[in-house]
Amino acid sequence: MTETTASRSLLTPKRAEMLRDFVPFIAISLVILMFWAISGDRFMSVRNWTFIAQQTPVLMLLAFAQLMVVTTGSIDISIGSNLAFSAFLGALGMLWFGDAGLVLGVLAGGLVGMVNGLIISLLKIPSFVTTLAMLIIVRAVVIIVSDGTAIYITDDSVSGGTNISSVAAPWLLSMGKFPAIFILAAVVALFMWVFYERTVFGQQLRAVGGNEKVLSLVGINVTAFKIKVFAAAGLMVGLAACVNLARAGAATPQAGLMIELDAIAAVALGGTPLTGGYGSVVKTIIGALTLTIVRNGLTIAGVPPSWSQVALGVLLIAAIAISLNRSKVDVVK
Amino acid sequence: MNDQTARPLLSVRNVSKSFGGVQALRDGSFDLHRGEVLAIVGSNGAGKSTLIKVVAGAHVPDAGRIVMDGKEVPRSEHSVSHMQERGIEVVYQDLALVPNMTAPYNLFLGRIPRKLGIFVDERKMRSKTREVLAQLNVTTVQDLSKPISSMSGGQQQSIAIGRAIAWGSDIVILDEPTAALGPNETAEVERLVEDVRERHGTSFILISHNLDQVRRLADRIVVTHHGVTSREFRRDEITSDRLVKAITLGE
Repeated sequence: MTETTASRSLLTPKRAEMLRDFVPFIAISLVILMFWAISGDRFMSVRNWTFIAQQTPVLMLLAFAQLMVVTTGSIDISIGSNLAFSAFLGALGMLWFGDAGLVLGVLAGGLVGMVNGLIISLLKIPSFVTTLAMLIIVRAVVIIVSDGTAIYITDDSVSGGTNISSVAAPWLLSMGKFPAIFILAAVVALFMWVFYERTVFGQQLRAVGGNEKVLSLVGINVTAFKIKVFAAAGLMVGLAACVNLARAGAATPQAGLMIELDAIAAVALGGTPLTGGYGSVVKTIIGALTLTIVRNGLTIAGVPPSWSQVALGVLLIAAIAISLNRSKVDVVK
Repeated sequence: MNDQTARPLLSVRNVSKSFGGVQALRDGSFDLHRGEVLAIVGSNGAGKSTLIKVVAGAHVPDAGRIVMDGKEVPRSEHSVSHMQERGIEVVYQDLALVPNMTAPYNLFLGRIPRKLGIFVDERKMRSKTREVLAQLNVTTVQDLSKPISSMSGGQQQSIAIGRAIAWGSDIVILDEPTAALGPNETAEVERLVEDVRERHGTSFILISHNLDQVRRLADRIVVTHHGVTSREFRRDEITSDRLVKAITLGE
């Protein structure tokens, strides 16, 4: 009986599952069509899409960092503070050691991530609480170290004023503009895809999210693995910080405020359950892109910023309500 | 069918284990011979799980000896990986599989083959999985890219047992292998155990609450009571009365 009703209805469980798989792609298409209809050429112009291509990479890299952590069933809400910290150390590194000192920014991100992982694994404090504390601490450290001032990246060696630190690095500023930043993002995305979908490490991310007790029972050191995951996520945040430094042209103590929420939203829009065990790099890219497009489209359509935040929240709930496969998730909390 | 006078494959002697002052296991002892199915029965909290976790290397015992093939396992080698190397595999109740991962992943759990050091050798995993499933006569698992949570309980248990035997282990410990299964799937798993024992000469340690199953599968039965392995029975000397008394009263 149930069989006949199911086969008669258009939305069989199998079709529903297929549809769910495509939700991020359908959502982004609808969003693009909607803003095209509303704003026409002002939205669908080469200039605007170039702008979107410049806006998305930082968020995308942060979403990659979040994706790694979320796949294991943990969460990292310290990435906004880590972004500011890493960008600052990247800029300091360039002041101290020249261009190659930018690497310090990536390493700083990895260090913060590793500290997160160590606290979570060794003190056994839940990731949410640990990274919440780190969000506060790391931001405070940035403000203390920077003394509230920014370090600017400039086109030439002529320094602006006496109080302002600046580094002349035209190459870095050009990395933050359209073709370069886009190519860099594409290369990182490709690496991330291979890393997440094809390596033993990436596979283990999903397995830890599925049932980490089983992994311990077969002799896998889950504690060490989790520290590595948070460190890897931190390195990705450090890379995002360097990209942000290039794009913004400055390391400011306020950089990346609240951006951890955007990164989580991008991952969730990409259909990844925050309970872990599943995830997709391609859909996370789509999620980050959708978020950027919605912000951009609402601004062009003249929606006041506070209202566009409301619209983003509604979009997030709608997308997850449709895309989350509840049969794959045991408990909703 | 077993020469009881021959040296046992595994010999557990007076093993004890406490957790935070509570003694979970006291003087646990038993022998296991090649190709034998030994059942360990006992009420909840009688120390069965602790005993098998000690044998599997997941717990280091406070006292006692474990002898394999006549050689004592040194304390320093009392770990899951060392016991696996010695040929002991466990199928834990509810804890055997990673539900969101595929059958090949679960079969290779803890032994994922690598390409170039970091990549998953997916091809090797698939072909070995098909090989193992064929060995087990499991024909119902077709799509190897699906997570095992989408499979039936019997199929999942087949994969768990498949993992235990796929690596040529001599001893497989089954912890309540059919507790969560229906009658048909229970029969399927029991057939699998009989089959593997006959064809590969594998020894099994069976933990079960199902006394009918114990009598169907086991050659000998060890009863644990309040953390002590109290009695040993041969299959033919068992009436259910005596077994139930031993389990509940320790007689």
